[in-house]
Amino acid sequence: MNSVKLEVRDVSKRYGHNGAGLSVLENFSLSVSELEFLVLLGPSGCGKSTLLRIIDGIEACDTGQIVLDGRDVTGTTGGGRGMVFQSFELFPWRTTLDNVAFGLEVAGVGRKERTERAREYIKLVGLSGFENAYPHELSGGMQQRVGIARALAIKPTILLMDEPYGALDVQTRDLLQDELLDIWDKQRKTVIFVTHSIEEALYLADRIVVMSPRPGRIDRIIDVPFERPRRDAIKSTPQFLELRRDIWQSLKRGAHV
Amino acid sequence: MQKLRNIGFSCFGIALFLLAWEDAGRTLGPALLAAPSVVAGDYLALLRQGEMLRELAFSLRQMAVGFALACLVGMPLGAVMGRSRIADAIFRPWVSMFVVTSTAALIPLLIMVLGTGLALRITIVFLSAVWYIALTTYNGARGISPQQIATARSFSANSVQIFWKVVVPALYPYLLTGARIGLVHAIRAMVMAEMFVIIGYGGLIHRSGLLIETGPLLGLLVTLMIVSLLFNWLLREVGRRLAPWYEQQRVMA
Repeated sequence: MNSVKLEVRDVSKRYGHNGAGLSVLENFSLSVSELEFLVLLGPSGCGKSTLLRIIDGIEACDTGQIVLDGRDVTGTTGGGRGMVFQSFELFPWRTTLDNVAFGLEVAGVGRKERTERAREYIKLVGLSGFENAYPHELSGGMQQRVGIARALAIKPTILLMDEPYGALDVQTRDLLQDELLDIWDKQRKTVIFVTHSIEEALYLADRIVVMSPRPGRIDRIIDVPFERPRRDAIKSTPQFLELRRDIWQSLKRGAHV
Repeated sequence: MQKLRNIGFSCFGIALFLLAWEDAGRTLGPALLAAPSVVAGDYLALLRQGEMLRELAFSLRQMAVGFALACLVGMPLGAVMGRSRIADAIFRPWVSMFVVTSTAALIPLLIMVLGTGLALRITIVFLSAVWYIALTTYNGARGISPQQIATARSFSANSVQIFWKVVVPALYPYLLTGARIGLVHAIRAMVMAEMFVIIGYGGLIHRSGLLIETGPLLGLLVTLMIVSLLFNWLLREVGRRLAPWYEQQRVMA
């Protein structure tokens, strides 16, 4: 259970020409365990999304390494990484089925097999019956379910989620959090989940990495004590509220730095 | 309801225009300006006579060749220019120069090189349409969201897959718009080229212009307008059928 799945080693990133601009991350290091649900929590601009994109390999870092399953994967994508994006990023010209099958299609999986597998994951996220709908015909919550199915369909060993519910209303967000926990229960895998919502972090995570901005670094790491499976009721327990207040203090302190 | 009202206003506008035209036509006489009532009669005669539609079909066939070539060259050219900095640097000065050049001004030169045959007319149609198609595609290709490319990369798509599975579909609305703009220019160029060498539909317009009656001439222009509008509409419908997501995209964009 505690073997290392992913390591971020001394990653630095600056924006602007030739790295002359704003420092987003400076010598950032982090270790993520096998099958852990890790949440990166921080205010906007703390570099948490950039870090996740560097881990996924779609953004380059200036220095440092990303090590996945003991292999250096810096600057490359794939290798068991599946990503879910904040604004869904579905392809508008593809139906639900073809969007979910996208990763399999580019991996060269045959039509019959990828259709079958896409249907299976569409069912898993509760979208059966919407296989032939285009993204514009779906609500935001449904679109993100497609995004999650697309990421899961390639059977990733590590799931990267970049504020996946940030663009949704509160009710949909709560619903999708529970769905995610259900799915995670059925298909255990390592998850790195980025959010700026303390409540979301506490509800989902095994471990919360609280980040502070400019440059992004680790403020503190919190082990979340709640038993699984978790239900909505824990959000009003004194322990939950105490932790929430505690983390809020950290974030507020970070914001003034 | 809103739509119905707009159609009502459009009809009102047309009716007002026709009335003014009728009045002016009656005052000036058919040698200077045939009134709509006269044009309508002449128009039926043109249809019965058959020459108008025969020449039109002849001209449109040749125009289609030039237009198809313009699409075949303009679309890939625009796409490559929009996605590659080197191609942009090489081709854009030429495209920008040609797009502002009047093709009519090139005709004397082209006649010297190509003669007055089919090659000339196809070349003129091609040159009038290709730059608009290329530039529209170019703008579309430049505007493709980097995040869409990143999403494809996240799923380990290689650059060939990214081109065919992301760039081309994302370009689709621009290809369609480019084709529609290009087609309008192609039809105009067709008539212009034919009036220079007096052949086909343009030749027919030229000959009608020499008569002392303006009725048939105006009739020919009406047909040309109808054909342009029809083709434009046709391309849009084809686009809609092929890509049901397209209209929605445009509304959101």
